[in-house]
Amino acid sequence: MTRKTLLTLTLNGEDTDVATQGTVTLLETLREDMGVLSVKRGCNQGVCGSCTVVIDGAPVRSCLTLSAMCEGRDLRTIEGYEADRTMKCLQKHLIESGGIQCGFCTSGVLLSAQTYLTENASPNRAEVKSALSGNLCRCTGYRTIVDAVCDAAEELAQ
Amino acid sequence: MSELIRPDTIEEATQFLVSHPDARVLAGGATLIAMRNAGLVEMSHLVSLSGIHDLQGIEKTPKGIRIGAMTRHCETAGCDLLTGSLAVVRQAAGMIANRPVRNMGTMGGAVSNADPAADYLPALACVDAIATIAGPDGRRDVAITEFVEDWYETALGEGEILVSITLPLARDEPSLYRKVARVTGDYATASCAMAMDGDAVRVAIGACGPGPIRDTDAEEELRGNLANPDAVSAFAARLAGLADPIDDVRGSAEYRLALIPRLIRAGLKMMQTAEVAK
Repeated sequence: MTRKTLLTLTLNGEDTDVATQGTVTLLETLREDMGVLSVKRGCNQGVCGSCTVVIDGAPVRSCLTLSAMCEGRDLRTIEGYEADRTMKCLQKHLIESGGIQCGFCTSGVLLSAQTYLTENASPNRAEVKSALSGNLCRCTGYRTIVDAVCDAAEELAQ
Repeated sequence: MSELIRPDTIEEATQFLVSHPDARVLAGGATLIAMRNAGLVEMSHLVSLSGIHDLQGIEKTPKGIRIGAMTRHCETAGCDLLTGSLAVVRQAAGMIANRPVRNMGTMGGAVSNADPAADYLPALACVDAIATIAGPDGRRDVAITEFVEDWYETALGEGEILVSITLPLARDEPSLYRKVARVTGDYATASCAMAMDGDAVRVAIGACGPGPIRDTDAEEELRGNLANPDAVSAFAARLAGLADPIDDVRGSAEYRLALIPRLIRAGLKMMQTAEVAK
């Protein structure tokens, strides 16, 4: 038996206490213990990108991150961007372009895109494709997603 | 469920590993946690190295450029100390997987895992990198070309961890990392790292055997003859002769062998026509 440990995680700016076991992943803690269901369990092997979260400003895989190593760090999920202008703009263009179908990949795609536009405000199409290459989408064929991110970058630059 | 151990020093980590043979070293987690999630590995403890200050960062020392084992791919990919003959290492880092994985994975984790199709080992081999290893008996240095001993087997012994990789100081000459992969960010079907060294070229081939393939005698024979297509073909044939490729989902062994001369010829051409950013 592994004993449970009490962690204080800072999720979307709020401190939350959560009891976890030794080496559970942040994905499990978010979904099972904290009820954050926007973070999806796709492959659970770091390939699909549906579990993407932002830690200290950088997008990472929550399925490969241990919860016990996240104390004192700034954890963000899509819910943490409600007031974010870049995120709002990305969401609008994703809807307009038809870049959303089943929605399973969408939170991860948006977090990857938001953090990328923060680093590079005026990317070209190839750079957008490369930045989103860690987020698999089985519905759209990607063109509409890339369109949305390029259009959002253009609008934000105005 | 395994337990997480977070040592503060290299000595603490190696001591714990010696007394707990079923523990596993955790670097960035990009591969090990994925394997655990898939049920491919089990461990009593995960020994995270992320709290050990001595394993972090890239610095210039009198001996060369020291890359701490816990340096993440995103740092290496953006490091402005890695120019000229060392740009090959920076380029390889930038071609690993995708942004979120580059934000997690580390130099030490990738090198210690020794996946034959991963990007760092050929790049490090062509610049004569040295691996520094710490263990219960102290520290030792191993040439990166000696580090991989067989398929997924390395020079790391029981209780040992990789501390750093040291590269010789950069020369103001071009270097290049290229890979053939099914999609951007995939592991290589075959890869080629090269660095100019005066009128010679240093070349290492990846994903065509258990470790990177290098032949320094063949490099010396090619010296001064880089523009001679027959000499280059003979050189490529020497390296292909040392290859031990496998058939897998990324390509057949036959295809991999066919890629080796093409990667070498194309790479040399790119370096000579200055298509490569120093």
